[in-house]
Amino acid sequence: MTSLVSARNVSKSFGAVHAVDNISFEIEKGRIMGLIGPNGAGKTTLLKALLGLTDCDGELSVLGLDPFKQRKELMQNICFIADVAVLPRWIRVDQLLNFVAATHPNFSRERAEKLLSQTKVMKKSKIRELSKGMVTQLHLAIIMAVDAKFLVLDEPTLGLDILFRKEFYSNLLSDYFDEDRTILITTHQVEEVENLLTDVMFINDGKILLDSSMEAVADIFVQLETSGESAAKARGLAPISESELFGKSVMLFEGVSREHLAGLGELSTPSVADLFVAKVREARS
Amino acid sequence: MIGNLQALVQRELWEHRSIFVTPVAIAVVLSLLTVLALVSAAAFGSHVDLAVLTASNIGELEKRAALMGFLSMPTMVFAIGAWILIVFYSLDTLYAERKNKSILFWRSLPLTETETVLSKLITALFVIPVVSLVIAAITHIVLLILASFWIMSVGADAGHLIWSSVPLFDVWLGTFIVAIAMVLWLSPFVGWFLFVSAFARRSPFLIATMGIILLPIVEKIVLPTSFFGAAIWERTFRPPLADLDFVKFLDDDVYFEMTPDLVSIVSAIDIQGFVTSPSLWAGMVVCGLFTTAAIYVRRYRDDS
Repeated sequence: MTSLVSARNVSKSFGAVHAVDNISFEIEKGRIMGLIGPNGAGKTTLLKALLGLTDCDGELSVLGLDPFKQRKELMQNICFIADVAVLPRWIRVDQLLNFVAATHPNFSRERAEKLLSQTKVMKKSKIRELSKGMVTQLHLAIIMAVDAKFLVLDEPTLGLDILFRKEFYSNLLSDYFDEDRTILITTHQVEEVENLLTDVMFINDGKILLDSSMEAVADIFVQLETSGESAAKARGLAPISESELFGKSVMLFEGVSREHLAGLGELSTPSVADLFVAKVREARS
Repeated sequence: MIGNLQALVQRELWEHRSIFVTPVAIAVVLSLLTVLALVSAAAFGSHVDLAVLTASNIGELEKRAALMGFLSMPTMVFAIGAWILIVFYSLDTLYAERKNKSILFWRSLPLTETETVLSKLITALFVIPVVSLVIAAITHIVLLILASFWIMSVGADAGHLIWSSVPLFDVWLGTFIVAIAMVLWLSPFVGWFLFVSAFARRSPFLIATMGIILLPIVEKIVLPTSFFGAAIWERTFRPPLADLDFVKFLDDDVYFEMTPDLVSIVSAIDIQGFVTSPSLWAGMVVCGLFTTAAIYVRRYRDDS
């Protein structure tokens, strides 16, 4: 596989605060990576470094380019949605399409209009006249009309109701994603993207806690629901987290084979959200 | 880059509709005031006897000078309006898109900060003056038509009094040259305003104004010299083309030595003197430095 993003010892500090602290990772072509972290973990700083919006120490390459020094070239093959509210409120939809068509060599106005024809967004409307959901549809239509290799979504569905959120991700998968494209998503609504992801990366205090494919997550991590004597035995296998649920102990194990745990209770693959909470607590303890 | 600049300037025109609305509003007000003045003049019977003027074969020189004055007054109003627009546009343009966070969208497109800031400088220095000039030119025609109706209503010959003599193209070309010269002369201020707009977290107008006021005061106290005070004063109040002497057209001593074609704004402008003025180029260098600083701040300071 080919690395689309390559980071080697990347750091970014603001005074004494290490927003991104000497991290290394790769993102392969054709993957959907979820970047998950609590507030202030360094997600946005890392995304800004990937998008060339801020400089950083270390070696960072996106599509073979230095993001900060070659941002214009990079932006021809990258799209990003930073937040649904960032489309300029004063502009009309048709003016926005004209502008993107005039400045983006890989933008297909025809495709954008086709996508918009499936929505209630009117071309003569100003952005401030559209609902938040319609603004997202417009933004997504523009993004999907760009023939880009890498799509970065930073909290793309923030403030949207669940119908729009579902529709957003559904459109993304059905109309946009293919094996030549790569998507990086950050969101706090982990449950909603969990099924889309091929890879997941946890970040906390600027450091990577986990960088794995979803298949490997299922192999490495096991969740055990148990009680009584079995629970005591399971504790002996050093779970990375334990919580109580309806009178049962729910334990999460890393690197412990399912064979070892078989017979101690009900086994399952942990959700990304549960895994994330466990890894962050483990890091903080 | 040229295609991107065109699109970016077009975007400025979409965003800042005041670039059109302000001169159009000035045009409407001036036209209404002219109608009001002409109606008042007729109502109070205080109009000059234009029929007599027509019959008395008023000289071509006086007609050209009078019409030039008639057109120059509204032009000044447009010039003041354009300068106010330039000041507020320059202070707002980079600040507003950071404040409303649309900067994140613009930066998601394959555009450089240099292209973006240059498009705003071009809009301030050329687009705003040119739009104002075009609307001023249309207003000139409207005012002359209004005056013609009035002249005809009192039985005089508008064709003879106005249209055969009005130096329209001279006024337009002269005004264009003066307008461009003035914005280039004042360009250090425009550069400073763009720079403030790029870095200010709040109140760019206050910061820009305080900078201009405080710099000479601090210089006087600390150094104590008055270089910046004198430079700002001269830049503001002594533009090199301001000594266009309209009075000389009517001065008795030179009047008889002049021919109608010398009653001209264009011929009164010392372009060579202006272009070779070291102050002009020094000012443009200062504008360039501030613009470069604005690009740098936008590129390297991440407050999005």
